[in-house]
Amino acid sequence: MFRKEPVLGGAEIAALVTMAAAFAIPMITKNVLVYSVLNQALVGIVAAQSVWIMLRMNLLSFATPAFMAIGGYTVAIAGRYEITDAFLMTALAFLLPALAAVPLGALVLRLRGTYFVLVTFVLSQIMQLLLFESESLTGGSNGIAGVPAVTLLGTEMMSNRQVLLFACGIAFLATVITALLTRYFRQHFAAIEENEILAESLGLVVWRYKAVGFVIAAGIAGLAGYSLVNMLLTAHPSSFSSESAVDFIAYTIIGGRGTILGPIVGTALLVYATNLFGTHGQYAQGLYGILILAVILAARGGIAGTAAAAFRRVRG
Amino acid sequence: MSELRVEGLTKRFGGLRVFHDIEFSLPPGALMGVIGPNGAGKTTLINVISGRQPPSGGRVFLGGRDVTGQPAHAISRLGVGRSFQQTNTFKGVSVRENIARAIRFGRRGIPQGLEQLMGQFGLIPRLDEQSDKLPYGSQKMLGLVMAYAAGPKVLLLDEPAAGLERSERDNVDLFVDHVRRVGGASVLIIEHDMDLIRRLCPRIIVLDAGEVLADGPPAAVLARPDVIAAYLGDTEDAA
Repeated sequence: MFRKEPVLGGAEIAALVTMAAAFAIPMITKNVLVYSVLNQALVGIVAAQSVWIMLRMNLLSFATPAFMAIGGYTVAIAGRYEITDAFLMTALAFLLPALAAVPLGALVLRLRGTYFVLVTFVLSQIMQLLLFESESLTGGSNGIAGVPAVTLLGTEMMSNRQVLLFACGIAFLATVITALLTRYFRQHFAAIEENEILAESLGLVVWRYKAVGFVIAAGIAGLAGYSLVNMLLTAHPSSFSSESAVDFIAYTIIGGRGTILGPIVGTALLVYATNLFGTHGQYAQGLYGILILAVILAARGGIAGTAAAAFRRVRG
Repeated sequence: MSELRVEGLTKRFGGLRVFHDIEFSLPPGALMGVIGPNGAGKTTLINVISGRQPPSGGRVFLGGRDVTGQPAHAISRLGVGRSFQQTNTFKGVSVRENIARAIRFGRRGIPQGLEQLMGQFGLIPRLDEQSDKLPYGSQKMLGLVMAYAAGPKVLLLDEPAAGLERSERDNVDLFVDHVRRVGGASVLIIEHDMDLIRRLCPRIIVLDAGEVLADGPPAAVLARPDVIAAYLGDTEDAA
């Protein structure tokens, strides 16, 4: 009567296939514009996945840029000491933000709704302050320029293609972690999202799952920061502004918060649109806003969510 | 088997006293009703015992163990289950998933006779329907089945018959009988339906203005003039 669920569902498999397919793009084109847009999209997808994990528990987090900064600056500071090994850096970029999230989670996860939103926004603002004021560590307003390229199995990933391939690898890894986490805890996260009081009365230790989600989401955001710094070869406070959280949230909502495909689809569309509208000068922001409005009005569940619902209806 | 015992239980919201110095014990397998006018503190009493809200004073013991002030999940895992006055399910998902979650979160395996209970309430043919699309009565019974599916030793029922049609109220009798006989749990039931209370409960307590006004067998308690004056007359009229 109560069926056992498969390890990965259709949406998770589709997300992994999509992210694996991204590896093919640097192989079939050398177009610099394509590389640039894809790099931005891959960073955005990873950051949006961090937002999405928290939204699975109905928690809208603005803390993503703060954890991205920890991951990004970890890599930049390690570069000063010529530590560039990809595996080591990936582990540090994930683990340090995740560790930072443990005490922060103990503070902010008591909150719900608008209070959680406000406090996570303040966390990002405080991180900005720390980045500017800790000049000896972070370079202050100058940031850390000239971050050395990452080395993978002794090869320096220096060319545009190698940088993009590395970003594909980070995005794929983040998608694997996100898929496994949200699939394994699917019922727990969904129960917290839908009816936290009922879930707790049935014995679910709600704070524990929120903490696990917050810590992993912080690690994922750290990976996004790593990918961003590796793309720019610079760590600068402006790359991790608290306002950028709005973009990551928009990516997730527009793509669809109900499925792991949401952050991927939403980021791909909005990053592409940003670059497309960027050629229209002063109209760019307006066009971007109109696109977001149109999608919200036409597809309440986001693009991927609405498409999935339509697919289910057709299939009966 | 666990005895539920409350000693001097008190709850205040700021300057507002909800209830004061409540004392009773519910032996393993026993059934007790709690009645009283609206605002007497009945639901808050369940909230405090189940860990939803901390008490302002007094102690709650389960099987001799002091569980006062523990969070709701911890008290649930110690064996105290509860239902809610309003329909309360995981709305976006199927009946099957709702019950599966209750079993999973309760962590005591599938309780004895669960399928039989689901069958009695007509839930088996509706397993794949979304829970909030069910008729009100079925949603209410689903909430009760979920409380049982978590495997409680003590079950606190908050107006299980509220909003049910007369023909559906027998399901509450069936449920309470099943929980005690098959599940071996004790039951504390808050209810305004006095017929149901008389039918089911060998013992009731009457709460009025946050105090225990009376405690004993229904025939004796419901005949008391102070109980009639405080509560029963109005309810009998309404019923």
